[in-house]
This record gives sequence, structure tokens and C-alpha cells, in this order.
Amino acid sequence: MVKKILSFLRSYPIVVGFVAIVVVFSIMSNRFLTVSNMLNILRQITINGTIAFGMTFVILSGGIDLSVGSVFAFSAIVGASVLQGGNILAGILVALAVGAAFGAFNGVIIAKMRLQPFIVTLATMAIARSFTQAFSQGRPITGFPDSFRELGRGEYFGVPVPVFVMFGVFLLAWYILSNTKLGLYTYAIGGNEEATRLSGVKVANYKILIYTISGALAALSGLILTARLNSAQPTFGTGYELDAIAAVVLGGTSLSGGKGTIVGTLFGAMVMGIINNGMNLVSISPFYQQAVKGAVILLAVMAERNEQ
Amino acid sequence: MGDSMLLKMRNITKEFPGVRALVDVDYSLKTGEVHALVGENGAGKSTLIKILSGVHRPDRGQIILNDEVVSFSKPSDAIQAGISVIYQEFNLVEYLSVAENIYIGNEGRNWWNLGKRSLIRRGQTLLDSLGFDIDASKRVRELNVSQKQMVEIAKALATNARIIVMDEPTATLTEHETKTLFKHIDNLKERDVSVIFISHRLEEVFEIADSVTVLRDGVRISSGRISEYTHGKLIGDVVGRAIEDMFPKANVPGEEIAFEVEDLSIPGVVERVSLSVRKNEIFGIAGLVGSGKGEIGQGIYGGMKAFCRRATLFGKEYRLPTRPEYALEKGVLLVPEDRKNMGLVLMLNVMQNVILPNTELVAKFARFNWREAKRISRGMVDRLGVKTPSLKQKVMHLSGGNQQKVVLAKGLLKEPRLVIFVEPTRGIDVGAKVEVYKIMSELAERGIGIIMISSELPEIVSISDRVLVMHRGKQTALLEGSDIAQERIMEAAMGG
Repeated sequence: MVKKILSFLRSYPIVVGFVAIVVVFSIMSNRFLTVSNMLNILRQITINGTIAFGMTFVILSGGIDLSVGSVFAFSAIVGASVLQGGNILAGILVALAVGAAFGAFNGVIIAKMRLQPFIVTLATMAIARSFTQAFSQGRPITGFPDSFRELGRGEYFGVPVPVFVMFGVFLLAWYILSNTKLGLYTYAIGGNEEATRLSGVKVANYKILIYTISGALAALSGLILTARLNSAQPTFGTGYELDAIAAVVLGGTSLSGGKGTIVGTLFGAMVMGIINNGMNLVSISPFYQQAVKGAVILLAVMAERNEQ
Repeated sequence: MGDSMLLKMRNITKEFPGVRALVDVDYSLKTGEVHALVGENGAGKSTLIKILSGVHRPDRGQIILNDEVVSFSKPSDAIQAGISVIYQEFNLVEYLSVAENIYIGNEGRNWWNLGKRSLIRRGQTLLDSLGFDIDASKRVRELNVSQKQMVEIAKALATNARIIVMDEPTATLTEHETKTLFKHIDNLKERDVSVIFISHRLEEVFEIADSVTVLRDGVRISSGRISEYTHGKLIGDVVGRAIEDMFPKANVPGEEIAFEVEDLSIPGVVERVSLSVRKNEIFGIAGLVGSGKGEIGQGIYGGMKAFCRRATLFGKEYRLPTRPEYALEKGVLLVPEDRKNMGLVLMLNVMQNVILPNTELVAKFARFNWREAKRISRGMVDRLGVKTPSLKQKVMHLSGGNQQKVVLAKGLLKEPRLVIFVEPTRGIDVGAKVEVYKIMSELAERGIGIIMISSELPEIVSISDRVLVMHRGKQTALLEGSDIAQERIMEAAMGG
């Protein structure tokens, strides 16, 4: 049993960091380790977590998706304009479709034209942001039916709805990565793309699928935030790609692909959320909060390196 | 063993921009036979294989499989037709398990459940049935080279391959592992699987192949049963001229000691090895993988931390360097085994590579004298006979033998007095090998001490004046004169 726990900790060093941070903040603030604060943290990480799960697929396959923040905003804005008409289901589907379509577009260019994911998604990041501004004319879209707002603010058994959504996505992603062909190919493409191609796998199609998943999850995340704020804003999601990448890397996924887990990403997102929350509780000046986050990421990457 | 023709490739022609890679090449393969494909680098072997495996399409010609004309437009077509290729740099995904690697691309139609447990069970059954002692649930990165090769074989058989192409399968294997591989190839033959065996080592071709086809410059030179060939004929066909002497040797060891070290130790790897290299001598170091032979070179060169009681270079005290730069300053050069990663910057051209460590020869302060650089590198290129269209050619486009010469050119500009060669002919073809031997022998003749660390027994036996044999970090024999024979070396290498 002890052995099992130790080997678990060795494969997930982030869990050790997670526990350490929880202990530190619990000591520093008596408001930290309360049920309501825990739920609060979970609610806050749903946005980043959902995007980061999609990003995990992309990074595992050896790619990167910088466009998620802009896709987040664009799908939210387009979805919001449909939602205002009152049709909730159509609004949600349109938003998800917009996100998926943008992801697929990324995937097609990257896989079929064999271009670098970094530069392709950097370009589509700008394109999606520009579309967002144009579509909304720079103005937020606000006011949605109550039943849609449930997606952001509702609770069941005291647990916020977005948390259920995030864990649903987490379970699905975990299942896909560990039990399906798509999961196997995601690892295989990131581990050795040429070998995978020569084994007869249609690598391009799977890559397109992977970027589509990333886009769709960015859209889902955008819907959650829209529902929570009862407003979709054209500035949504700025810089979210970096938070998502940070969560994935904190979780132990290798930026060169082929190695990592979705469980790691969940913990990575939680650690980032706890640091944000805890720093506010112990009133660290906002001016220094980014520096602390940066330092934590550096430490995690160094720890990972020593691990190898 | 059947007698039917399983595969016929007829009049295969392929042109790439500026190169005629294959011209009207015929190749045929029987069921259950091992048919070797030999030729120098650039002879067209890989192009022919890439056409057979669906990577390239031929400009002209036919592939006939089981009396049917087939045409492959992508690798999966060839795999489905029962043709699998085991490339030299293995195509395995290191972080996946053995079973996942075996069945990737071939795991059934179920898209929502892979069934990992049954995958591992099936993989294990397959490995066991082949007599491979490998755990199917292990990650591939935990395996050694020989085991990875077995995984590739299992992977091929999992796709019901009738033809397995092995591209230089023995290049990175030890003697013992090669024997094991040959046993497995024999088993494949019994299962009526045919093997296309590509190798630079002609002795192996004689050992394992039933038939052989020789390619040179994209043309089929000869083809037939292996029994119709002699060593001389095969080498002649490969190189295109009779090689009167596979191992040219001109140096005669002198009396003066060039380099001497007493009790060289590297903790955990090498234990108290003493050796002395005479002027004009080629001093061979042999041993199996893990014997510490390569580390001795690294220790002398400063690539690894080593200790010794005493070392001298041409009579002067030689303190074991802590970094290679110091070794170079004192006149010790090591030509590494892994040219592509350690010896060259592949994206740079010949001249840039030659000048890279020798900038002091052509630069005053920050200003580069390109004319001088050109003159110097031209001189080295001519002296070593590097075959390159120009000094501006990127070294990635050169053959293995010519890359090896560029590595040498860089080092020789430092005017070394002791040169350590590590696996000097690994992965280069017969013609180029002879040239490398010639260069070594010439260098020795000029009074440079040479240490040659090699796993290739034929070259150790034929080129060295004396041979030190290593076993598990200790020296087990120092052979000289007529004592230098393959059996004696093997015996000592096994701990004798």
C-alpha cells in the first residue's frame, strides 16, 4: 500500500506540490481550508481547467494551441447573440460549433499543410480576436434567460454546476486518453509522429480531431463564463492560453509531447487556482502575484527536470 | 520452404529532381527466403524499399505480389498487403507499452474501447510464441536495442506480414545479439515469411542470406544465389572496382612511446587499465558493449571524469583533461562514434563545419577572412578526398563516409599528435571504409599515435598493430602479432 502511494506520488510530483501549497495556505489563513472556500476555488478553476483539458490533448500530440483564448471569446460572443434570441439549446450548440470549427481549421492547416502549430495558432489567435471585435462591434452582449444562467451560477447539493461540467469533461478526457484509439494515437503522434504514420495511422485526421477538441472545449469554457457573468465580452479570454499551457505543464506533461496525463493537468489547474485564491486571502499585493505564479511554474519545471 | 515467386519488382525506375535514383531495377523474392540487398550508400537500396513500402511511387515499373500487379500509394497499403519495414532508426513510440507499439494502427475497429488488458495479453502471447523474452506491458524506452528490434519483428508479424524488410538490422547490435537475430530470422523462414535483408556487412550477408542482389548507382549490377558469389566478387560488384586490399596498411610501429597511461580508472566503468601507444602505431581496443572500451577514450579525451597514476604524451606529462578543449590544446583528438549528434552540425555546410572549431586560423578579432577559410577547408577536403559537389554543400546531404571525413578534417586542422577513433566505420559503406582505413594508416605513418576503439572484429584484427581487450571494465588481454585473431579476442572479451 505504502509502495503504491509512493509510486503514485513519483508519477505525479504535482500532487506533492498541491498538498504542500494547501498546507502552507491553511497555516497562513484560517479562512482558507473551509468548505465554502474550497468550492469557491473549484468554481474559479473550471474556466481554466476546461480549456486545459483540451490543451492536454494538443500538447500530448506534440503541438500547441495559442488560439484558445480568442476562440473562447469568439464562440462566447456568437453563442451569446443567439442566446439573446431565447433559444438556449441553439445558442449552446452554435457556440460549441464555432469553437470546434475554429479548432478544426487550425488542425487542417497544421496537419495537411504541415506547418508549425505555434505559428498557425498564433495567427488564428489574432484572427479569432479580430472576428470577436467585429462581430460584437466592441460591445458586450448581456442579459440571458435564467435557465441558461444556471450553467454558471446553479448549484446541486451545494456544488456549483460548472464544477460538475468540468469533472464531466475530465472523466471523458481521462477515458479517451487511457482507453481509446484516439487516446493511444494522441500519445503516439506526440511520441514519434513518423513511426505512427508508418504504422498506417491516418495521423492528419487525428491531429485535426485533436485541435477540434481543443477548440470545442475552449467554447464550452466560454459558455460557462458567459452564464456566470450574464454577459459575453469581446475582451474575454485574453491570455487564457498561457494559463492553460501552464496548468498542463505544471501537471507534468512534456511540451515536446508523448508524455503526460490528464490527472496531472487537473492538479496543475487546481494548484494555479489555489495560488490565486490563497494569495488574495493572505493579502499578497496584486503587483507581486504574477511573479509568485511565475516562480511556481519555474520551480515545477525544475523539479520535473530533476525527476528525470 | 516454398519455391514460388512471392514478389517481383520489374523495371522499377525513379527519378528525383537532379538524381536518377533507380533505373530499370528488377528484384524478386521467394516465399521463405532471405534475399539480401546490398550496395553503397546512394546505390538506391532505400529508394527501392521506399517504393515497395508505399512511401514513394515509382515513375515506371511494376510490383507483382502473388501474381497480381499491385500499386501502393501510402504505407498502410503496403502493410495491408503484408509488407512491413523495420527501419534502422526504429519506428517505435518510446513512451508507449510494447503491446501498444505492436498493435498501433492495427488495433481493431472499436473506437470507444481499446481494451488495453486484452492488447497486452495478445501481445504477450505473440512475443512468447516467437520466443522473445519481453514483457508486453513494459514501456519501450526501458528496452535495449536488441529487444526493440524484436518488438519491431513482432509488430510486423502482428500485421500478418509475409515480407519483412530489415534495413541494416545489425548496425547497432553486439556480436551476440546479432547471433540471436539470425536465429529469429531462421524462425521467420520456417513460418514462410520472406526477409529482405539490407546490410553493409558482407560477412553477414554470406552467413544469413539465400540470395543477393547488388545495386550500384541506381542500377542492378548482379543478382543470384549466394552460393554463386565469392567475397571478392561481391565486394567488386558493390564498389564497382576490384578492391585488392580491404584493409590497406602502410604504417610500421616505431619504438618511441607516443602516449602512455598507467592505471586509468573511471569509477564504476573502468578499473585500472594501463596502455601505451607507440609512434606510428594503430592501437586497437576491443570489447563487448558495457566493457568500458568507449569510456577509456572519453577518459583520455576529457569527455568523462577519469583518474590515473601517470600519463605521458610524447614524453611530457599529460594531465587527464577535465574538458575536451584542454585535450585538443595538448594535441589529443577524439573522433566520436555518433557523427550526426556529436561531430557535425548537419545544417551547416562543409566549410562552416571545418572552420567551426578552427576560427582562430581565419579570424582576426571579429573579422572573418573567408578567402583563407576557403583555402584551408579546400586543402583539407582535397587531402582527405571528401566527395562533395562544393564547399557550400550542407553536410546533411553527404554520405556517411564523407561525413566521417569532414569530422576528421575539423580535427586534423588542430594538428593532433594522438587521435582516438571510436567506431570509425559504423554505418558507412565498404568503399568508404577502405578510405577511412587508408587515412588512419597514413596518419600513423606520419608519426601520429592512433587508438582505434571498435566493435567490428574484422577491422580490429586487420588494422591494429596491437589489441587491448576489455571485459567489464578490466583489461583481459593485450594481443600482438599473430595472436591477434577473432577467436582470441572474443574469448578475452567474454572474460576469458
